[in-house]
Order: sequence, then structure tokens, then C-alpha cells
Amino acid sequence: MLEVRNLCKNFGGLAVAKNISLSLKKGERRVVLGPNGAGKTTLFNLLAGTLTPTSGSIILGGRNITRAPVEKRARLGLARSYQKNNLFEGLTVRENLGLAATTASGRTASLRCCAHDGAEMQDIIAEVAEQVGLSDSLDKPVSSCPYGNRRQLEVGLALAARPKLLLMDEPTSGVGPNMIDAFDKLIHALPRDLTMLIIEHDFDLGFNVADSITVLNYGEVVFEGSPEATRQSREVKEIYLGDWNHA
Amino acid sequence: MFYQTSIKTVCVAAVTFGLIAYAMLGGYFAREIVIEIALLAMLAIALDFLAGYGGMISLCHGAIYGVGAYIFGATTALSGTDPWLAALAAIAGTALFGWIVGAITANVGGIFFIMATLAFGQMAYVIVFESRALGGDDGLAGVGRFDLSAVGVNLNDSLQFALLCVAGMLLAYMVAATVLRSSFGRTLSGIHANEDRMQALGLSVRTHKANAFAISGAIAGAAGMLAAQHTQYISPEYLVWTLSGEALVVVILGGIGTLAGPVVGAALLVTLEHFIGGYTDRWHMFIGAILIVAVMAGRRGLFGEIEHRLSRRSETKTEAGIHA
Amino acid sequence: MSGTEFWATQFLNGLQLSMLLFLLSVGLTIIFGLMHFVNLAHGALYMLGAYIGVSIAMWTDNYWAAFFGAPIGVTIIGIALYTGVIKRMRKEGPMSQVLVTFGLIFVIVDLVRIVWGSIALGIPTPEILQGQVSIFGISYPAYRMFIIALGLAVMAGLSLMLARTSYGAMLRASVENGEMASAMGIDVEKLLFSVFCVGCALAGLAGVVAAPVFSATPAMATDILIPTLIVVVIGGLGSLTGAIVGSLIVGFIQTFGAVLLPSFSSILVYILLAGTLIIRPEGLVPARK
Repeated sequence: MLEVRNLCKNFGGLAVAKNISLSLKKGERRVVLGPNGAGKTTLFNLLAGTLTPTSGSIILGGRNITRAPVEKRARLGLARSYQKNNLFEGLTVRENLGLAATTASGRTASLRCCAHDGAEMQDIIAEVAEQVGLSDSLDKPVSSCPYGNRRQLEVGLALAARPKLLLMDEPTSGVGPNMIDAFDKLIHALPRDLTMLIIEHDFDLGFNVADSITVLNYGEVVFEGSPEATRQSREVKEIYLGDWNHA
Repeated sequence: MFYQTSIKTVCVAAVTFGLIAYAMLGGYFAREIVIEIALLAMLAIALDFLAGYGGMISLCHGAIYGVGAYIFGATTALSGTDPWLAALAAIAGTALFGWIVGAITANVGGIFFIMATLAFGQMAYVIVFESRALGGDDGLAGVGRFDLSAVGVNLNDSLQFALLCVAGMLLAYMVAATVLRSSFGRTLSGIHANEDRMQALGLSVRTHKANAFAISGAIAGAAGMLAAQHTQYISPEYLVWTLSGEALVVVILGGIGTLAGPVVGAALLVTLEHFIGGYTDRWHMFIGAILIVAVMAGRRGLFGEIEHRLSRRSETKTEAGIHA
Repeated sequence: MSGTEFWATQFLNGLQLSMLLFLLSVGLTIIFGLMHFVNLAHGALYMLGAYIGVSIAMWTDNYWAAFFGAPIGVTIIGIALYTGVIKRMRKEGPMSQVLVTFGLIFVIVDLVRIVWGSIALGIPTPEILQGQVSIFGISYPAYRMFIIALGLAVMAGLSLMLARTSYGAMLRASVENGEMASAMGIDVEKLLFSVFCVGCALAGLAGVVAAPVFSATPAMATDILIPTLIVVVIGGLGSLTGAIVGSLIVGFIQTFGAVLLPSFSSILVYILLAGTLIIRPEGLVPARK
């Protein structure tokens, strides 16, 4: 599904991604771990196209997208959610999901009145709202939603695009324990054929949902393996020092 | 996002009927005012479509209006083209002009966009001003009008021409409203709300913005085309930057991002212009002052304020209903 | 006039226009660098500089009184606009500020019409600068040479100030990263105010030195605004080097375009603007990397 080969990114003399290689099978759920500044979000930016790599290649579903623009990658089935909420403020939850669903369906140029409100779009909106637990908040303006709901919507926007590959950047960033459980259930309930790459700082959740784990440090892949192997890796322990014992 | 609320419908209908009544009951002077309001409202609708719903505050809409007037005026006056064909050319030409400006400026936001549109508007002005073929500074006389005699309408009659302009205004509103309710329009609002996210969801933001600019340009061009028919004479004054300012004042005063607001704003501003015009010919100073005060006072504008208050009242009512 | 002499004269004409554009664009661009806002009324201040200069020259019968008085007068007006209107709009964000300054153009142009009338008013060239000077083997009007020299002097002075003084260092730091600068104890507000004043003074100066050549007219406010905006966009908003580079490019393209491609000359700069926006929207010499 996703093949990343020798991906490098330099800002001037500073290497923020060094020779990153990754391979994700269809339906695989890969969790990316690493301390702050390890280059996790940079990796996502490179994959989604907001940054262009200095060298290396990215293949999505057999197509080379290394230099493709952001929107092209999205149309090929890549969707992402952000660590910091990146929503359509001022609109309702329904309008937010509707924008995502219509854009992904490629019907943005339609001048037909109310094409947005067609049955097909309403079905997607209802289904995604159910998945992320926002069915009761559909007609609330985003601005009046509590933070946890906004985090759910953040993932909902990515899901409404009906992606093949979903990049989730710390979905639980800033939320309390109850919400972390909710996200655990949410991710488990997603279809098994959806390939996911998840940055997560909550180890329990990370290990719980992961099929496999990649650990980044200083822009490099320092470990890759099953959740079990990761738990036992000495190298990974050293990176996190004492913090590891809490996990 | 745009919804054709009943407040909007009532408001636009009220202004429309008011204009029709004033044109029918008043004399020649009243009809001139009605025409002025209708055409300025069209231009402001075009600008609000782009600025209020797409976040693109253009300072070249006055110039686009002038380009529409010139395409129509020059083709009918110089080559005697059929006015309907000339009108089509004016609308297509201004759509193209809008599309090009939109495509060039789509990558730059906010202030750059304002500066660039101001510059490209001035470019159109300079081209017309310096073109000898288009009459340069002197302009061109002998511009034609639509021939509607087949349906029994005589546009050389001031009342019937005024009613045509009011119809044009209503049509412009309906076109803008229809587009804003479509997926295209919702997507435009999405870009206004969060451009990066729309791109991340797979939208070619640049194309979409350029297309929106083209639609807005066509509406502004249609207004200019009617203006050329009204005066039957065109001059570079039609493209001057102050007209862009006037359109912006109408939009901000009426309520940016309300679509109905500009219609109210146009009626108000033209009325005010004729009132103040009785005392001084320094009208532009008042335009500038109104713009400054309107921007400083806040964003909702007149119609926006009314809409906000009414919707808040209905909200409290429903809430009260629930509690009771 | 031989071919070489002709081109040498055109070169000096281009340089002279570039210097006027520089005097105007430098204030705009640094204010943008500090507060992300563009004063569209900057051209109107230039116009005020010319008119105030005309009046002072008329009262005192002395060009140099106008030369020094006009920048001061414009600065006072600028301070009034800043404290009365622009500063109050700080919270509303740059967009509203720009729209307010757009409204100011209308007001100032009409006020000038009321005070000075709509006809063109000139200032006689000062005696010492009448006649021609000889340079590169050609003779060139002394007054125009003076404009070039003045522009170069301001350019050198500002570059030195930015590079060598602590005020310049604070300015560069604030343009580079305003939040960091204020966290380090730089009073960005005060800095901004002083830069705004310098910008107004330079606009007034440009107006008064332009008046003997072009005369003062109400149209000059917008006539100069557009090329100035193009200069700052091409050069890169917020950058002094950008203002220098942009002024030279626009000044020379306008001058040589009028000679070489007379039928296209007026749209050449717009093509340049369009090209910059498409290929390098951050400008040729952006202030931040």
C-alpha cells in the first residue's frame, strides 16, 4: 500500500529526516513512536505533500507520489488528521463533514443546487458521525463543541474522505483518559482494510491498536517490529529512558 | 455557508418592489436613481460573492465592471455588433479577465491579494486610457441597447430600461445565490474557512478560486454591460479605482458575506449620495469616510446586524419553548 | 544627440525614477515587515508632500524651506492618521487596517482638492540646481541629478543604519521574528511608531522633490501607489534590499519600456507583477527565509 524508500529532508544543513524507509501492507495499522522532535510530524508532512523530500521516494498504491501536490495525493486516497485541530471553524459539524465528503468525492465543481445535501453525502456524514461518536452533535457549530468533540471531528474529516491510507497525528493529543478509551474503540471499529499510520504518544493506546511499530529518533528509523518486540527492545528503552517503565 | 433564509428573501423582495414602485411612480430622475442602485447592487453582489464567501477582497471589481462596459460598448459602437452578441462577449470577456486575475493571485493571500487586484484593475484602466482605438481619454459614443421590441418592450423608454436593470439585479442575486447553494459554492465557503484543509482533502484550490473569480467577474461585467447601455457612452471613468472602493463600501455597509446586504447597501448609499450631493460635490470624501467608519465599527454591516439580531431572538424563543 | 548619449540619458532617467520609487517603497515595506499591514494611503502622503511643499515654497519663496518643511508636515499628518485611525484598528487585524487606509485615499484626495484645487501646481527648481551638469560625457539636468544623489544617499544611510546601529539591529530582529523580539524586551510598538514616522517623512520628501519635475496633482496619489506596490511585491515585502532591487527593476522597466516598446510600456510592469506572483510570490529578496 505504502512504500517509502530512503526518504531524506534537509533544511539548510539540518537533516530532519534521514534515510527513512517504511513499508505498509494493505490494512496494516502502524504506530509511529518517538520522543518530541524525532521527526514524526515531518514524516507525515513529507507523506502528505506539504513538504517535498530532498531525496528518496514515496509510492502509494503502486504510484510514485514523491513530488505530487498535496491535493493529488489526497485524491489517490491519502487522508490525514492533524495534531492541532485544523477544522472549518464557524461551520457546523455536519457542514464540516459534508465539505470533506464532497471534496473527496470530486463533486466540488457541481453547480447543481444543494448537491451537497444529496442522499449519498448524507449517508457518508451519518456513517462517519457514528464512527467518531458525533451523531448527536451534527448541527452544533464547531466553535461551541468541547475540545474532545473537536478531536473526534478532526479524525472524522479524514474519515469522511473515504481514504485508503489514513495518517493520524496524535489523535488523542490533549484529551483526558475517557476520551483516550473512546479513540481506542474508534480505531478498533474502523474497517480492517483501511491502512493506517498513527503517531501516538499514549503508549497503551499505541500498543493496543498497532499491528506493527516504527520508532523514530533524530529523524531516523531506529526500530521496527511488532508491539511485543518493541516492548522488549533495549534500544527503544534507552531512547525513552525512564519514561518507558510507565508504559 | 450560504442559506437563502426568509430574512434574505423578504429583504431582497422589499428592495426590488421598492425600486419598481419608485421607478413607476417617480419621474425621469427617480428612474435614474433606480438604475444607479440596481447596477451598483449587481456589482456589489459580484464582490460579496467573492469577498464574503470566498475571502477574496478584490479591489479590481470596478475595473471589471468597466471592462464589461467597454467590451459591450466598443463592439456595438465600433463594429455595430448585435447587442445580444455583444452582451455575451462582455460577460464571457469579463469572466475570462476574472479567471486570469484569479489564477494569478490564487497563491497569495490577504494583503498581497488586495495589492495585486488593485494593480491589475489599474492595468485595465491604463490600457483603455491609452488605447486610441477605444477613444482613449475621450471614450466612445454611440453604444447600442438591447432590442426587445419583439416582446413589446421599448428600452428607449426610461421606465422600461429601469425595470430591465432591476430585473438584472434580481437575476444577479439569484445566480449568485444558486451558485453559493451548490457544491461549488459550499466548497468556496470551505476555502474561506480553511484553505489548507480543503487542499489536504483533495481540492485544487487554485482552480476553484479562479473559477469563483470568473463567476464573480461575469456578474460584475454584466452590470457594466447594462451601464454602457444606460449612458450609451463609455469612457475610462468606468474603470476608475474609486468604483471598486464604492462597491466595497456597499458590501461592508450592507454586510459582507450576506449577499442580501449589498442590495440594501446599494440602495442606502445611492440615496445618501443624492442627499449629500445636494450640498457638496465632494462625494468621494464621504465614500472614504463611510468606508473607514464601517470598517472601524465592526464587521456585520446593516443587514448582517438585522439578520444576527433576528436569528438570536428566534434562538432564544425556541430555547424558551423547550424549557416551557 | 548620439546613440550613446541617448542611452546614457535614459539610464539616468531610469535611475531617477527608481530613486523616487525607493523613497516611497522603503517605508511601506518595513512597516509591512513589522506589522503585516500595508498603508495604501502612502501614495496620498506623497501627494501631500508635494502640495505642502508647493505652499511652503510659495510663502517663503525658498525651495529649501519646502524641502525640509514638507517631510515634517507629512510626518505630523501621518502621526495623526496613525494614532487616530490605524493604531485603533490593531486588534481587528491587518486586513481591516488595509481597508481603512484605502478609505483614507478617498478622504485625503478630496481634501487636497478642497484646499489646493484640482489644477496642477508646480514648484520652481531652486536656483543652485537649475541648468545642466555634465556626467558620462552628457549633459543632464542638475535637479534630476540631485534626486538621484538624494536617493542614493538615503539608501546608503538606511543600509548603514540597519547594518551598524543597535536601532537597526532591533529592527531587523523584529522583522525576522516579532514575538521573539518583544520577548527579548524590544519595544516593538515604539519601533513601529518610529518606522512609521520615517516612512511618512520619506514619502513627504519624495513628494516635495518630485514636485518641480512632475508638478503636484490630485492624481499623483494613485499614480505612484501602483508602481510602489509593485516594487514591494517584486522585491519581497519587509525587506530593504528588496525595496532597492524592486525600485531599480520597476524604474528601469518603465523608463526603457517607454523607449523600446512604447505600445506595451504601460503593461510591462504588470506582466512583471503577474510573473512574480506566479513564480516567486514571496518576492525576489524575501525578508524571512
